[in-house]
Amino acid sequence: MTVRLAFAPSAFNAESGSATIGRGSNIARVSDASPAEFFPVVINRPEGPPRLRLDAPDALGRPVTVACSTCHTIREPNIENRSTIDLDEFHQGLSVLHGELACLACHNPGDYDTLRLADGRAIEFSNVMTLCAQCHGPQWTDYQRGAHGGMSGHWDLTRGGRVRNNCIDCHDPHAPAFPMMQPTFKPRDRFLAPAHSREGGGHG
Amino acid sequence: MSQASTHEHRPQHWMSYPRFLSRSLGLATDGSFGFYAWMTCLTAVFLVGANAWANQVVQGMVVTNMTDHVSWGLYIANFTFMVGVAAGGVMMVIPAYLYHDKQMHDVVILGELLAVAAIVMCLMFVTADLGRPDRFWHLIPGIGRFNFPISMLTWDVIVLNGYLLLNLHICGYLLYTRFLGLTPNPRWYVPFVFVSIVWAISIHTVTAFLYAGLGGRPFWNTALLAPRFLASAFVSGPAFIILSMFALRKLARVPLPDGPVHTLVKIIRITILINLFMLASELFTEFYSGGAHTSSARYLYFGLHGFNGLVPWAWSAIVLNVIAAALFLTPAAMTRMSVVTIACALAFIGVWIEKGMGLIIPGFIPSTLHEIVEYTPSLVEWKVTAGIWAFGLMIYTIALKITIPIFSGRVRDLARDPE
Amino acid sequence: MGERKSISLPVLGQVSRRTAMKGVGATLGAGAFAAAISPLRRIDEKVTAEEFMQRHYKELSDSDKRDVFTRLEAQAQDEYGADVSISDPRPIPGTLFVYAINLSLCNGNGKCVEACHRENNHDRATNQSYIRVLEMPIGTMDMEQGNTTYDHPVPAEGKFYMPVQCQQCQEPPCVDVCPVEATWQEDDGIVVVDYNWCIGCRYCEAACPYHARRFNWKKPEIPADEVNPDQGFLSNRIRPEGVVEKCHFCLHRTRNGRLPACLEACPTGARVFGNILDPDSDVRWIMENKRVYVLKEELGTAPSFFYFFDS
Repeated sequence: MTVRLAFAPSAFNAESGSATIGRGSNIARVSDASPAEFFPVVINRPEGPPRLRLDAPDALGRPVTVACSTCHTIREPNIENRSTIDLDEFHQGLSVLHGELACLACHNPGDYDTLRLADGRAIEFSNVMTLCAQCHGPQWTDYQRGAHGGMSGHWDLTRGGRVRNNCIDCHDPHAPAFPMMQPTFKPRDRFLAPAHSREGGGHG
Repeated sequence: MSQASTHEHRPQHWMSYPRFLSRSLGLATDGSFGFYAWMTCLTAVFLVGANAWANQVVQGMVVTNMTDHVSWGLYIANFTFMVGVAAGGVMMVIPAYLYHDKQMHDVVILGELLAVAAIVMCLMFVTADLGRPDRFWHLIPGIGRFNFPISMLTWDVIVLNGYLLLNLHICGYLLYTRFLGLTPNPRWYVPFVFVSIVWAISIHTVTAFLYAGLGGRPFWNTALLAPRFLASAFVSGPAFIILSMFALRKLARVPLPDGPVHTLVKIIRITILINLFMLASELFTEFYSGGAHTSSARYLYFGLHGFNGLVPWAWSAIVLNVIAAALFLTPAAMTRMSVVTIACALAFIGVWIEKGMGLIIPGFIPSTLHEIVEYTPSLVEWKVTAGIWAFGLMIYTIALKITIPIFSGRVRDLARDPE
Repeated sequence: MGERKSISLPVLGQVSRRTAMKGVGATLGAGAFAAAISPLRRIDEKVTAEEFMQRHYKELSDSDKRDVFTRLEAQAQDEYGADVSISDPRPIPGTLFVYAINLSLCNGNGKCVEACHRENNHDRATNQSYIRVLEMPIGTMDMEQGNTTYDHPVPAEGKFYMPVQCQQCQEPPCVDVCPVEATWQEDDGIVVVDYNWCIGCRYCEAACPYHARRFNWKKPEIPADEVNPDQGFLSNRIRPEGVVEKCHFCLHRTRNGRLPACLEACPTGARVFGNILDPDSDVRWIMENKRVYVLKEELGTAPSFFYFFDS
């Protein structure tokens, strides 16, 4: 049986997902508003541990998902494992292109429904950004100051809230390089020669 | 005639001025078969242009081939050139009034009338270039909002209209007094003539500053632009005046002396060399130093990244100007009308290209983001341009048609003639 | 012109034939001229009397503005079949907008270009947008090596991407050159255009060193269901033909505290926007902690638009 890993959707959860980041980021000095008057900055986050979808549906045709711990509580963790090549039952075809990390660098062998920080402490999947930040300090710093990571909503928190992406909204944790994209919207100015009709390095 | 006699026969202007106007209208519309044929042709071309412009207004500037990359085209190119022609007339005024050249003094009105026609053409070219000619009134000080003195374009509005008014006044005053058979009172026109000398320099300087002040357009952003504008204006203006004097002699058999032609040839001998020298200075600076700021010049003269639409224009201008310079410098330029004619025609066309396709267009190529979008005028642009040229020539023809009989004394206000 | 000395008043009997011919000629000429410019009869379809008489934005009273907005809303309904609402948000006191782009993150996908196109009611046929993205080889800042028409998957090997839009210069050359004050800088740094005052001379387009200005060569075409109904008078309302327009930092959004459309659309999170006067703002932190640069700094335009790379 082949099983693919599916992450829980990083759905915006207004109740549990709210978080204020940084040192009172975006305090609108001019209005001299007290922090109580600020709308929240909400960071997308996974609702909980991911569930794995099995290929075969149940008797009623509904998809079957299982918790990580369903299988992993009865299996010996393999600390050495760095890729899915050696796996013959689950997680086949999952490409792992995240430096030299082994699976258990981030997954917690003690409780597969949580993640593990470098110091061995367990951490909830919903707090995955803390895990990422261990190694990606500069990105985390930038993120806290809005210099990394997409957002929508308001620049002025006295007038409205803001929703921010989680690391894993844009970066697949197993292959975090940002994917290639095909530009779909190009200028169509009159008389501007399209790229392919140009010589060499292309001017235009 | 002395001041005293002017007072003796103090004209009744409310009577004589309408007579002057009506006689002018008569002169403007009477003529030979050749005159009617010429005016009919010009009218036809003008109507084609008027129609093209009306369509442009209704359909939008999309009927031109201008783009956000090359946002000024044939209209502004011709505008720039015609400012030069208008300013060039001053090369007759200076010898006539500063050096008291008697023969030049007799024909100097040709230059002043040319200035009138050329400025009218300038105003028409600018209007043709406006995306919203219906909002023209926004430019009128008092009614609109006139961004003076910050915008060089407002300076240009002032100097061009001022120059038009100056020359209209000078020509109108001289014509009217001659019509009355009086000696013009220097008080009423000589100060204006001296103002107009400075003003002529100013119109082309301001027009050059229009471009030279744009830091984002390195091709124009050179201190040499205004001097070059003037030097080339003092080629194209006198060249056109020589050509029109020859045409008047040949076609209308107006007896014009050789002296002014010789003076103008002498002037062009200098100005065309100064212009070529400044061109050489620019080319040296551009090509010896190189770098991103010289890419417009590279595009203009040699093509850039496979785009070379202006290269034939640029080299034509250089070849025309060099041949014209060589011809002007030969002794034959003083003796043989054919040599002067050819030299003037070559120089006129050469400067037209240099100031138009060779100056305005490459300022936009490559664009400020170094994109290359080429420009060839559309049919509508050519039609409108031809129409404005036809209209300018009509004005000049009619002005000459009125002026020559009055200045030669053949037409006078007999109703109050003391004789 | 060898005519004999004549007198000022034409003697009717002698020249009546010629005078009659002149009359015929003048009539024909006038008729032909009227026919030639007859397309102008359609001008009233384009310019109504109210529109023609409309004063400059700064001279409009609040009630004038209400009338103008109502008229423009009706016009949008009439010409585009779209139910729009036009507002006029004013600068927020104590706000100076700054934009910063992280070029280490930008991958040139062009979503910002498209978002601008949709947000700002640009002409559909030309893919008009206030943003152009240059693909440049790593190792140079020379825009001459750049290219905006690349259409391969991005980021391409050895390239970086630089979006360019209005830099909202603090010394804007485009504002200086405008002969009719149709464009000016507002207190929050945004350079705006009164589309009902611009005469379309395009001097500003020549003056801008960043290719930030666009001219409406024709009337924009937008399907009714694609018209963005949230419109600002000085920003994204459907522009009339024959006038210049430019990026206005989405002032109909940003002056209500919202982020610009191009920023929200950016899938790489490369764009940062905020109030530089707020010492705790993101843009302020970037200015203080990143090595930022501006385009064509040597021109002295003092852009409010900054670029930076991750170290």
